[in-house]
Amino acid sequence: MKRKKQKGLDFIVEKLTNSIENTSTGEVFDTEIVELTIKDIAQIKKSGWVFDWTKELNDKSKTVYKLTTTNNPTIIQGLLSIEDKQDHIFMHLIESAKFNKGKAKIYFGVPGNLVAFACKISVDKGYEGFLAFDAKSELIKHYEHSLGATHFRGLRMFIQTNAAIKLISQYFKS
Amino acid sequence: MGLIKEPRDVDFTVKSEPWTEEELADFRKLMKEIKSKKNRLRLPLTKSKRKKDLV
Repeated sequence: MKRKKQKGLDFIVEKLTNSIENTSTGEVFDTEIVELTIKDIAQIKKSGWVFDWTKELNDKSKTVYKLTTTNNPTIIQGLLSIEDKQDHIFMHLIESAKFNKGKAKIYFGVPGNLVAFACKISVDKGYEGFLAFDAKSELIKHYEHSLGATHFRGLRMFIQTNAAIKLISQYFKS
Repeated sequence: MGLIKEPRDVDFTVKSEPWTEEELADFRKLMKEIKSKKNRLRLPLTKSKRKKDLV
C-alpha cells in the first residue's frame, strides 16, 4: 500500500483502498482518498461543485480530501472538508461530484466512503471515532439508519465509537 | 464488505454551520458521559481477566 505524507497534519494518512459501486452495472471500483492542498485547486472545476472548495482549501483550520477511483485519479468522485477539534473531528462539508448526484448518479457509496474515512481519522487521532456534523432536517433519519449517526439537537448530529467502527470495517480493508 | 448505498433520489450532502460554544460544551459533556459509560461496561471484563490470569 502506498503511503503519502500529508502536510499540515501530525500523522501519516495512508492511501486507503476502498471502493464504490457503479449504479448501472454493479461493478465495484477500488478508490483512494488523498489530501488536497491549495496547489491542487486546478483539479476542482468550479462549475462542477455547489460548495466553495477554494474557500475550504484556503482555510488552514480545515483539511480537504478527494476521493477518486484507483485507476483514474484525475476524476474526483467526491470531496470532504474536516477540522480537528482536538477531541473529535468536525465534518464541515461533504459533496459528491455532479455526476454522482440525483437519480442518474454513476456511483453508489461516495459519501459513505468519505464519512468512514473521517471516522478513521478520528480513531487514528485517538478520538474514539467521534465525528460531529450538521444534517438537513429531511436527512436526519436517513443518517441515523444508514450511518448509525446519533441525533444531538436541531440539525446537529454525531457518530460515536460503535457506529464509527462499523463504518470503517465496511469500507476499509484491514 | 458492504457499501452504504444511498437511495438514488437521496443525495448525501453535508454543509455544517459552526457550532456555538454552548453546543460544543454540551457535546463534549455528552461525549465524556458516553466514553465513561463505555469504560464502566468494560471494567468487569478486565477484572475477571486479571483474576483468570493470576490463577
